[in-house]
Formats: sequence, structure tokens, C-alpha cells
Amino acid sequence: MFHAVSEWLSGGVNLLLCMVVLPALFGVVLWMCKKSHFLQTLLVLLSSLLNTLFAFVLYGMDDFVFNIPLTTFGFAYSFRIDAFASLFLAFTAGMFVLISLYTVVNLKKQSYNGLYLLYLYISLGMINGALMADHLGILLFFWEGLLCTLFGMLLIGNRDHPKAAMKALTISGLADLLLMLGILLTVLSAGTGNMSEIHALSLSGNHIVGFVCILLGALAKGGCMPFHSWIPQAAEDAPTAFLVGFPGAMEKILGIYLATRIVTELFVFEHGTAMSIAMMILGTLTIVLAVAMALIQKDMKKLLAYHAISQLGYMVLGIGTGLPVGIMGGLFHMMNNVIYKSGLFMIAGSIEKQTGTTDLKQLKGLGKKMPVTAACFLVFTFSIAGFPGFNGFFSKELVFDAALESHVIFYIGALLGAFMTALSFLKMGRSLFFGAYQVPEGTPPLRETKAGMLIPMSILAVFCMIFGLGNTLPLDTLLAPATGIQASFSGWPHSVLLVVISLFVLLLALLDHLYGSKKDGSPLHAADHIRHAPVLKHIYDAVEKGWLDPYHWLMAAMGGFSDVCVQVEKGIGFVYDKAVPRTVKRAGLALQRLSDGRLSHYLYLAVGGMLCIALLFWLL
Amino acid sequence: MNVLKYAAETFLFVPFAAIVINNVFSKKMMEKCFHLLTGAVALSQIFATLFCIYSMDARGMSRFEFFMLEELYENDREFFCLTPVTLIFLLCIGIVAFVSVMVAKKTIDAKKTSYVNLLMTLIIGMNGMVMVNDFFSLYVFLDVVGLSSFVLIAMFRSRKSLEGSIKYIIISELATIFILTGLAFLFMQTGSLDYMDLNSSLLQNSSEPQTMLLSLSLILILSGFFVKAGAVPFHSWLPDAHQSADTSISILLSGIVIKIAGIYGIYVLTDLFSGVKAIQTALAAIGILSIVAGALLALCQSHFKRMIAYSSVSQMGYILLALSTGTTLGVVAAVAHVFSHALFKSTLFVNAAAIHEQAGTLEMDEMGGLEHRMPVTSFSSVIAFLSTAGIPPLTGFWSKLLIILALWTAGNPVLAGVALCASIFTSAYFLRMQKKVFFGKTPEHLASVREVSGSIKIIEIILTAITTLIGILFPLVLIFLQSRGIL
Repeated sequence: MFHAVSEWLSGGVNLLLCMVVLPALFGVVLWMCKKSHFLQTLLVLLSSLLNTLFAFVLYGMDDFVFNIPLTTFGFAYSFRIDAFASLFLAFTAGMFVLISLYTVVNLKKQSYNGLYLLYLYISLGMINGALMADHLGILLFFWEGLLCTLFGMLLIGNRDHPKAAMKALTISGLADLLLMLGILLTVLSAGTGNMSEIHALSLSGNHIVGFVCILLGALAKGGCMPFHSWIPQAAEDAPTAFLVGFPGAMEKILGIYLATRIVTELFVFEHGTAMSIAMMILGTLTIVLAVAMALIQKDMKKLLAYHAISQLGYMVLGIGTGLPVGIMGGLFHMMNNVIYKSGLFMIAGSIEKQTGTTDLKQLKGLGKKMPVTAACFLVFTFSIAGFPGFNGFFSKELVFDAALESHVIFYIGALLGAFMTALSFLKMGRSLFFGAYQVPEGTPPLRETKAGMLIPMSILAVFCMIFGLGNTLPLDTLLAPATGIQASFSGWPHSVLLVVISLFVLLLALLDHLYGSKKDGSPLHAADHIRHAPVLKHIYDAVEKGWLDPYHWLMAAMGGFSDVCVQVEKGIGFVYDKAVPRTVKRAGLALQRLSDGRLSHYLYLAVGGMLCIALLFWLL
Repeated sequence: MNVLKYAAETFLFVPFAAIVINNVFSKKMMEKCFHLLTGAVALSQIFATLFCIYSMDARGMSRFEFFMLEELYENDREFFCLTPVTLIFLLCIGIVAFVSVMVAKKTIDAKKTSYVNLLMTLIIGMNGMVMVNDFFSLYVFLDVVGLSSFVLIAMFRSRKSLEGSIKYIIISELATIFILTGLAFLFMQTGSLDYMDLNSSLLQNSSEPQTMLLSLSLILILSGFFVKAGAVPFHSWLPDAHQSADTSISILLSGIVIKIAGIYGIYVLTDLFSGVKAIQTALAAIGILSIVAGALLALCQSHFKRMIAYSSVSQMGYILLALSTGTTLGVVAAVAHVFSHALFKSTLFVNAAAIHEQAGTLEMDEMGGLEHRMPVTSFSSVIAFLSTAGIPPLTGFWSKLLIILALWTAGNPVLAGVALCASIFTSAYFLRMQKKVFFGKTPEHLASVREVSGSIKIIEIILTAITTLIGILFPLVLIFLQSRGIL
């Protein structure tokens, strides 16, 4: 028995197929037993642990490529496991255990919990598939499949006002279109779609367009600017469990996975080239602009959503440098960010569960009633703000290092981001957990979060610290073999100057926060003086009206386009509904007049026809 | 060889024996069981054809020539001949005759014995036409077909049917004049009308007819057969004749007679004079004209049967177009379309009979919403319509596909395009028919209409099943043809 199981487990192909197919089956089962919360929780734990087991076994295996023996017009259904993919698979699987546990507890008593879990599990299958795909077409299939379940999960909470879902569908659809185009161009110019066969295409000519399209598609999945604007909208509309799972974790993993793949493997992407600089600019802009928006939010979920965008900027900046330290920093930051950002979203979800709101204006001083949650929050805050000793600090230092090596302007941008991140978390943390206790009226007496939600949070918090002080594990043991980068970046940052500057920035943030809260009277309004600063005021106004949201530009352009379409449609409609039927009818009636029932006419016609044939013979 | 010969001889002897039986026994008795007699003849024809196809294929023969009553002939030339094409035509004759009998059982009240006599004569005429080995015998049998058809239309002596019959006679006589004169000219030119002689003479090797006389004869014969096939602009008799006859007769006329009397003659002509470019051009021109004009005319008819008759004109155009390619694929396509047309056109006429029996009218404007009252009829008409319009996987789709492929490979992509586009018209007039007859609200006077019962219902189901089944299995037919080196 044990022998048979271990034999089966050692077949990589079995595991690979199971990881794609089984989640969907589990999803269906979960959907069917939506009546029993206990059964659901048990199943979620079992299935996600099984998935983790598979992923870890695959992680321990050698690289292999597997072709499903089906061929359609030269299209190969090929999957591949290599060190990089299997690391991501294992990381996803591990995160998924916590996320799914949190989700099932968080969604208890919601009418849509069964359906949501179904979508979640199908998404897991899609993500696994996308991470294991070797052929770019297969990758695209799973990538697009994820869009469907994403749409479902966004729609599920409020079907009557599917604004976030529509926005996500439009923007992600556009990004996926770019991805499709990029993949098409790359496959055409490389002559093959298998990633294992594409090596270091030079960035020139056709390849550039293909590269840019794939990169944008990949980063858009992570929520990079300008494909970000549906995430804050989702923070308003979607279930918080969705924010934990997707903007918080899975989309970052998937987006950074593909971006790293193409930057490090498929194309020759070197430090200092125009493409690298463009990517770094994109990253820096994303950091600064998103965090600036986060700073002024008064709702916890929305604030976190903007941070989710902003943090992606660090990864893009790091990978965009093209330097080993930057790529390592970007990947490490992705892992750290997934850990603390999903943790933060989990906290938002638990607070919403206990008090019914995440509006910071109505919530104050929860720390005493929810001590464990507050402690977790503290750890996550220190991590995201880059406080020395926590995981975010180490990965940010690596990115800073790479940015400074490229150009000081990127470094300043990244520092500015760090400054504002610290500022917004000081504001949120102080007003949420400290000070006088205040909750919305009619809330039942506040209690600590349920164990089912508290456990994932605490585990994540522990990991924040492990990945911080014990950063040899993620950097040297996990990422170095996966990326093939030889140099070691573990341990404390080598440059003391950078650490000092970072600390100075944090101190500056604290001072500014104290100044702000004194000026405007409460910690919540600590950032208001920036909001109302002379020039920034107008920019913020414009952003809040949606003038800088590419989605709105897109929609306006669509409006014009659809007006034109209406006119064209009318014309076509006229041709179909009026012109063609009338012509046909008249022609038919004219012919009808020829056969009027008079025999002599019939005879004339027949003889005339005979003469016509004679004419034809004579002519030929 | 003997068994095959006996089977081949049944094509003429069995209908003849049926005539004898019909007239020997008392009229009263025959009226009771006329359908058994005629149905047996039709079935024997179907099975004999299937047997011939099977045994000829098993022996690897592409043609089987035989005498009938050997002692009558002095020279050594066989009088009859069976080829694969001939056999498919014979099969169609059998099927359509069977359908006609099943409908006649319900629709014909009086003159059942005359119906049997005339039908048998018609079958003898058609069988003879496709089996004979020379042009003059073909002409003789053609007149047998013509005469029996006239009488079949006029048999019930209503004013309309007499009028239709008279028109048919007059126009048809014009055709026979054309054909006879043409044959005379051809005879003057070659000295023989035997297919073998015509085939082996030098005529067919040159791309142009050498003499004025030959051209004239070809023009006349071709025109004559166009009249018989009801191609535009020779079609004007067809709707009148087909509409005014009893539906069981219309099935025969539209389903098979125009194809045997017209299309088969043209097929023989193209086969013998395959080198003459002008024939192909004429066929293509008349074909396109028939397709478009027939469809346009069908689109503005209000009488159910008249519309189907015009649809026949349009479909004949497709067959002519296929023959115009002059290639083997073209012939296969034409024969396939003859077969599928026989199926779906019979179905539609059976639907007409069913509606006429139950609702008492065939004016489409007076009908509506019969979908729920007559589900079987409605369903079978939808299948027949889809087959006509060439929707996969029904039989009509494959034959149309073959026609378009034949045109394409013969280097006529424009004609292929036109043929394809004209399918839209086909869908248009049938959709109009469906909407008027089967969809919408039921008018009050039709509120008590119920589904037809008995033989008509059975034959509707059988035909629909055959159309669907053969359509689904058609790839097997193509594989079979390929394995025999035909395609």
C-alpha cells in the first residue's frame, strides 16, 4: 500500500496532471457540501494540504518536460517542471493552504460560499496549470481561464452592481489581449512555442514588440500601473476573501513568475538598455503614484489595495534593473509582499467580520479587544514599512541597492515610496488600534477574531519574522537554485550607508506623522497636510475625480467608438432590413410577371431560351 | 452473371407484370389493394438496385450490358446497360415511387386502378430511359414518360389540373420536337445514334463541333432537355403542372420525372460530347440563371406546392452547374444532389400532402402555428429545409459541398461563390415558409387541426431518418468512392 503510493507519487506526470484537474473536482465537491461548514473546512484543509504535498514532491524532483500525446495542427500540449516553476508551485500551494482556510472561515454563513470556493479551487487549478505550462499557448489558456473565475468571484458579492467586475474584465481583458498578441509574435519569430526551447531571443525588431506585450500582460496581472484601477474598485465591491487571495497573493505570484521568466530566460534583457530603463520607470511610477493614493485613503481595504499596487512597483523596479541583486530582490520582495499583504487583507477581513465596516473613521482603539490581531498587524506593518529585522526590510534593501546602481533617481523614487508607506501605516495603525475605543453603533461587544482566521494570520506573521532574520532560507536555499544566481545576498545588507538612509527615512516619516497628527488633531488625519499641500491638492482632486484613471479614458474612447458603431449598424441594418428584401421582392415579382399563365408567352420564352443557347454556341 | 441479369430485367418486367395483374383481376379488388401492388413494385425496384450495386461492385464491374429477349436482335450490340450512375437514378426512381404510393393511399379516392396503370407505365418509361444504350430508344422512352405524366396530372379532371396538363403537353411537345429534330441532324452527321458509335467517332476529341449541322443538333437536343428539366427560361410549365396535380403525382413529377427526363438526358449529352466547351458554358449559364431566378420566384409564392416547385427549378440549377464542370467529381456531385434532392423534395411534398389532408388548404397566408398541432410534419419539414439549404450534417450539405468543390477544382471559383451565396436565398424562402406555416399563432379555423396519421406520417418519419442517417454516414460513402478510385 505504502509502496504503491510512494511509487505513484514519484511519477511527476501524475502529480502534474492531478494539480491541474483535482482542484476543480474538489471545488465541485465543496460546492455540493455547502450546507455543512465543518465538512467544508475539513475538505479545504485536506485538499489544500494534498496540493501542497504534490507541490513539494514536485519541488524535490529533477526537471522534466511532459507532452500530452495529443496533437492538433502542430500544437504541442507540453508542460514542464523546473526549479523555478516548482518553487513557485510550492510557494503557491503553501499560501493556498492559509488562504483557503481563511476563506472558508471568513465566508461562513454567506449564501455564496459554496460557489466562491468552487471558483477559488478552479482558479488554483488554473494557476497551477499556468505555472507548469511549457507551451506559451497552454500558459495563455490557463491565464485566460483565470480571468473567467476572477470575474465570477468579483461578481459574486453584488450581482446588481457589477462595477468592479466589469472594470476588472475590461482592463484584464485588454492586458490579456496584449499578452496573447505578444505570445503570438514571440511564437512566430522564435519558431516554437515551448519555453524550454526558446533561449535568449535578442531584443531587436519583432522581438521587442513581443517582449513588451508579454511583459505588460504579465505585470498587468500583478496590478501594475496603468492596469491597476480595478483593484481599488474591487476593494469596495468584492468579498474581502477575494482581496486576500488574489490582489494580495496569487496575482502577484503569477505576474512576477511570467515577468521573471521572460526577463531572465526567454529574452536577452540587460542592465542599462532602453527596455530596462523603461521597466524601471514603470516600476518607480507605480511605487510613487499608488502609495500617494494610499496615503489619503480613509478606508482600510482601499488603503491596502493601493499598497498592493505600490508594492508591485518594487518588484518591477528590482527585476527591471536586470542585475542579479535586483532580480533576487524583486523575487524576494514578491514572496515577502505576498506573505504580509495577504496577512494585512486578512486582518481587514476579520475586522470587517467583527464590526461590519473597515471605515477608519468609525473604528478606533481596537487593540485592547483584539490583541492577537493587533500584534499580527504590528508585525506586518513593520515588514511592509521595511523596519530592520523584518522581511520587507531585507528585500527592500536589495531593491534599493539595485536601483542606486542604476540611477539615483530610481533610488529616490523608491525611498519616497518607503516614506509614504511608513506614513500611511503609521496613520492607519495608530488610529485603528490605539487611542480611545470606538466602533459603529449597534455592534455587538467586540471579541478577538475566530481561531480559523487567526491561525493563518499568525502563521504569516511568524513567516514575516523567519524570512527576515533567517533570510538565508528564502534567499540562499530557495531562490538561488531556482534562479541560478550564484552570488549570495543573505544576511545583513552590506552597505551600511543604505541602511542608515532607510532608517533616516523611517524617522522622517515618524516626525512627519507626529507633526500631521498634531496639526489636524488626530492620527487619522495625520496625512491630510500632504493631501492639502499647495500643488498636490489639485493633482489629488483630479485623481479622485477619475481623470487620471486609464479605465475612464478607455471608457470615453469606447463611447465615441460605439457612437460610430451605432451609425454603421444603422446603415447595415438598413441594407439588411430594407434594401435587400425590397430588391429581392421586386426581382421576384418582375420574374413572376413573365410567367403569367399564358401559354404563348411560355412558348416564346422557351424558343427564346433556345435561341440564346444558339447564340452562345455561335459565340464560342 | 445470370443472377445479375435477372435482377436487371426486373426493372422492366416487374412493372409490366403489375400492369397485367392490375387489369386481369376485378376492379373492386384492385382498388382495395392497389397500394400493396404498387408498393411491392417500388420496393422490388429498390432492392433490385441495391443488389445490382452490390454484385457489380463485388465483381469489380463498372458497366453491365445485357439484352432482354435476345432473339429479337440480330446484331451483337447489347441493348441495355447498367452503370453506377444509372443505378443511382434507378434507386431514386424506386424511392420516390414508394413515397408516392404511400401518399396516394391517403390522397387518391377515385381512379385507383388508372393510377396503378399510369404509374407502372411511368416507371417503365423512366427505367428504360436510363438503361438504354442508344439515343433514339432514349427518345422513345422519354415520350412514354411524358405521356404518362400528362395523363397522371389530368387524371382527376379538375379545371386546374387540365389546364396544367395542357400547358405541360404543349411545352413538352416543343421539347420533343427539338429533341427529335436534333437527333435527326445528329443521325445525318454520324449515321448512328448508338452511344458507342457516338463515343468512338471523332466528334468528341475536338474541342469545337466541326459542322454547323452538329452544332444545330446539339443546341436543339440541349434545349429540349432543358425544357424537360424545367431550367429557367424553359421552366414556365413546371409550377403550373406540379401545383395542379394531386400531391402524390407532384412527388413523382418534382422528385424524379424532371431529373430522369431532363437531367439524365443532359448527363448523357455531356458524357458523349465532353470535349465541346459550348455545352459546358451553356450548362453553367442556364444553371446559374435557374438557381437565382428559381429562388427569387420561390420567395414570392404564396402557394405551398408552387413554392416547392420553384425550389425544384432552383435545385435543378445546382445539378446543371455540377454537370457543367465535365469532371468525374462533377458527375459524382450531380448524382449525389439528384439523390439528396429526391429525398428532401419528396419530404416536402409529403408535408404538403399532410397539410392539405389535415388543414384543407395549401395557401400559406391562411396557415400559421401548425408547429404544435402537427409536430411530426413540422419537424420533418425543418429537416428537409435544412438539408435543402445545405446545413451539415444532412445529406443536402454533402451534395452541395461536392458541387462547390467540383466547381472549385474545375477552375470556376466565381461559379462556386455564386452557388454558395445563392444558398442564402434557399434558406430565405424556406424560412419564410416555416414562419408562415409552422410558427406564429394558429388562426381560428385551424384550431382543430391534428397531426396526420397512417402512411403519410410513417413515410415522413422514414424520409427524415434517411436524410439524417445518410448525411451522418456520408463520409463513409466518400471513403467508399475513394477506395474504388472514383474520386
